[in-house]
Amino acid sequence: MNPTELIGPPSPLGYPAPYWFLVIFKVLGFTLHMVPMHLWFVGILLAMGLAQWGGPQAQRWSARLMRQMPVVIALGINFGIVPLLFTQVAYYRVFYPATILMAWPWFLIIVLLTLAYYGVYLYVTGLKDDAVLTPLKRAAGWSSAILFVVMGFLFSNGFTLMTNLHEWPQIWQSTSVAGAPLGTTLNTSDPTLWPRWLMMIGLALTTVAAYTVFDAGVFAIRESPQYKSWATSFAFKLYTVGMIWFAVMGSWYVFGSWSPDVREQMFTGMSLPLTVLTAVGPGLPWLLILAQRQQITQTLAILMALAQFGVLGLNAISRQIVQNIELSKFLDVTAEPVNLQLSPLIVFLVLFVVGLGVVAWMLQKVLQAERQPIRGS
Amino acid sequence: MHYPAWYVEFLTSPMLIAIIAIFHVLVSHYAVGGGLFLAVETRYAYRTNNKEYLAYLKDHAWFFILITVVFGAITGVGIWWTIGLASPLATEMLIHTFVFGWAMEYVFFVLEIVSAFIFFYYWGRLEPKIHQVMAWIYAFSAWMSLVLITGITAFMLNPGAWVENRNFWVGFFNPQFIPQLIARTGGALLLSALYVYLHAAFRIKEPKLRDLIASRSTLPALIGAVCIVIGGVGWYLFLPESAKAALAAASALNIMMVLIFAITVGVFALLYLGPYRNPGWMSPGFALVLFVMGLTVFSASEFVREAVRKPYVIYNVVYSNQILPEELPTLREKGYLEGGTWTSAWVRARYPQVTNSPEIDERKLLELPEPAQRELGHLLFQYHCSSCHATREGYSAVGQLLRGWTPEMIKNLVQNPEKFHFFMPPWAGTPEEAELLTKYLTSIAPPRPGGMR
Repeated sequence: MNPTELIGPPSPLGYPAPYWFLVIFKVLGFTLHMVPMHLWFVGILLAMGLAQWGGPQAQRWSARLMRQMPVVIALGINFGIVPLLFTQVAYYRVFYPATILMAWPWFLIIVLLTLAYYGVYLYVTGLKDDAVLTPLKRAAGWSSAILFVVMGFLFSNGFTLMTNLHEWPQIWQSTSVAGAPLGTTLNTSDPTLWPRWLMMIGLALTTVAAYTVFDAGVFAIRESPQYKSWATSFAFKLYTVGMIWFAVMGSWYVFGSWSPDVREQMFTGMSLPLTVLTAVGPGLPWLLILAQRQQITQTLAILMALAQFGVLGLNAISRQIVQNIELSKFLDVTAEPVNLQLSPLIVFLVLFVVGLGVVAWMLQKVLQAERQPIRGS
Repeated sequence: MHYPAWYVEFLTSPMLIAIIAIFHVLVSHYAVGGGLFLAVETRYAYRTNNKEYLAYLKDHAWFFILITVVFGAITGVGIWWTIGLASPLATEMLIHTFVFGWAMEYVFFVLEIVSAFIFFYYWGRLEPKIHQVMAWIYAFSAWMSLVLITGITAFMLNPGAWVENRNFWVGFFNPQFIPQLIARTGGALLLSALYVYLHAAFRIKEPKLRDLIASRSTLPALIGAVCIVIGGVGWYLFLPESAKAALAAASALNIMMVLIFAITVGVFALLYLGPYRNPGWMSPGFALVLFVMGLTVFSASEFVREAVRKPYVIYNVVYSNQILPEELPTLREKGYLEGGTWTSAWVRARYPQVTNSPEIDERKLLELPEPAQRELGHLLFQYHCSSCHATREGYSAVGQLLRGWTPEMIKNLVQNPEKFHFFMPPWAGTPEEAELLTKYLTSIAPPRPGGMR
């Protein structure tokens, strides 16, 4: 069966905005989503390990990260909506079939996320000043950590299956009842799945390391110099490990799982500098952490965070290009007609800018409050 | 048809949407009304310098965040997640129509989350005035989220003139928008008061403070109940004729409407007699009864709202079995199996002898062996019927519905479902395909129950 036969007709409504607009928001949204997502993806696991087996400063780091985790998760879910929304606008013809073929694991993400989120809240109640981390709360924390890793794996399955159309006929025919898929499968036979997922773990380690320095330099006003010194030293080691992991898994992903045409396109022309930058990008935040090993500074911490955001952005752009190359054998997502919804688009952009302004105002008030002594409630 | 049909045995996949949607509305309305409650009452507590009340409000804000930011947010995403799996074509149409509506809602969602966390985590660390502003940013953003989502969900029930001009704003400000907005705003006020009663009844031992909370929350709740009634009347008046007819015809919906009406009146009376006139009545048991009554009304309302759309998912735009009305003539002429992306691929892979690639020769379908014909009938069932019907057992199981029917009766139904029941989508295949589906349905229909005189 030719997999192209399984791609349905284009929407009679067309794209509501030009493809470039949709894909910019998809990539920007995914970059924003990656920051909190990385923190929960491997951050909780590290936090649990260090809370259990680490020294006093490591436990302090763990508690700091976990206290912030409810907010981090809320923001991560929120930021995840944007790329998912624009994926469904521009990639609907492959997104829906892929997720339906693995419907139950995909659906399970909602259940797992609920459990993991409440698990984090339960764990955090044990971090209050007068509270104790009971075995139940520790178990909740560990469970959440594992669930988030599992969810990452399920997401990787969904998004690799979206481009792995060659597998669709086999998956569909082997897991369906009279042509209707049971939705019980995963995309584990895809050679890109494992290196891609493992590469994300490496990248997530670097983000956690970068966030550790950013937190110590910007938010941890009341923490001791000993903690800040430990945090930068820990972050440097963690970033180094993450970077090596990223390099190894990235090499496996690029040279061991990409098809020759993807490799050829990503290593020629305009894509070559992007591919190189994506590979060597983590070096810049690593150097900026190295520069702060003796003394952490707010300016360098912010610069390092921006550099890490750039690393994630480059990764997101490269992923997008690879996704389009992989799909180009079956579908040209840029070729759909556009029925521009100009006035709703303008209203959205205006609200987006105003919303950013309001968020900036709220954060300014928070920073002001952080600098003042704590008032009684 | 354009997408694979997710087979969920017994329950049917759209029922998963209904389950999540019901859980979600029970929390999302509280997320809106509760935000308003916190904003108004925090202002009152600061103004009267009532420290006990402020302490309670902080405690309530934590409960509020645990319920709304976690469960409310995840189930909200969960609905969207599930509609893509169970009704992909309808989701495709909605996303392409309202992507910027959702994007606008996303902006307010960000504001909600940031302001909610700052409101709670910086309690006592912000100037009272700034603290109140945070609460009002949350309340306004949450209500705007409700406004935006109402435009989209109301569109599904009655898109109005959008069907002709496909204009975003015409679709958004559809005939159902204002009535549903009034009803949902009222619902948010009422339901949040019931959450407050429940929380306060269990958390506060001091009768004076409990009485204060009970009396202050009752007026918004009563106003909310009135808004529900006004919005509900408007909802009914602006229903498409088929939805009104579905409401009148289906006994389950009749029962639910009676339940909704009777329990709303009951809640109104209990609110008036209880917290409004006698705040001391607000015991945990009384609060729990009110809360359960509120949840029942909301769950039933949501079920009715979903059910009356039949035979459409989006009225006059997408049928409940994921077919566009404009596709019907072609499907009837060339065949559903050939017209469907996944059905045609299945036939070509399994039965190449009936295809003259890429067409399917309809006449050859009936020359296949009987088991193969039944299998193709089953394929037709999965794609044409399983959105609303389980097979042998389960939700609206077609086997049970056809118990004792003769093949002629079944064939007549298959070819004219919309004439038998106006809330069923029309048959979208050829006479040969109707024969295949008939053979499959006949094979799963149990005989007429014995022992009847």
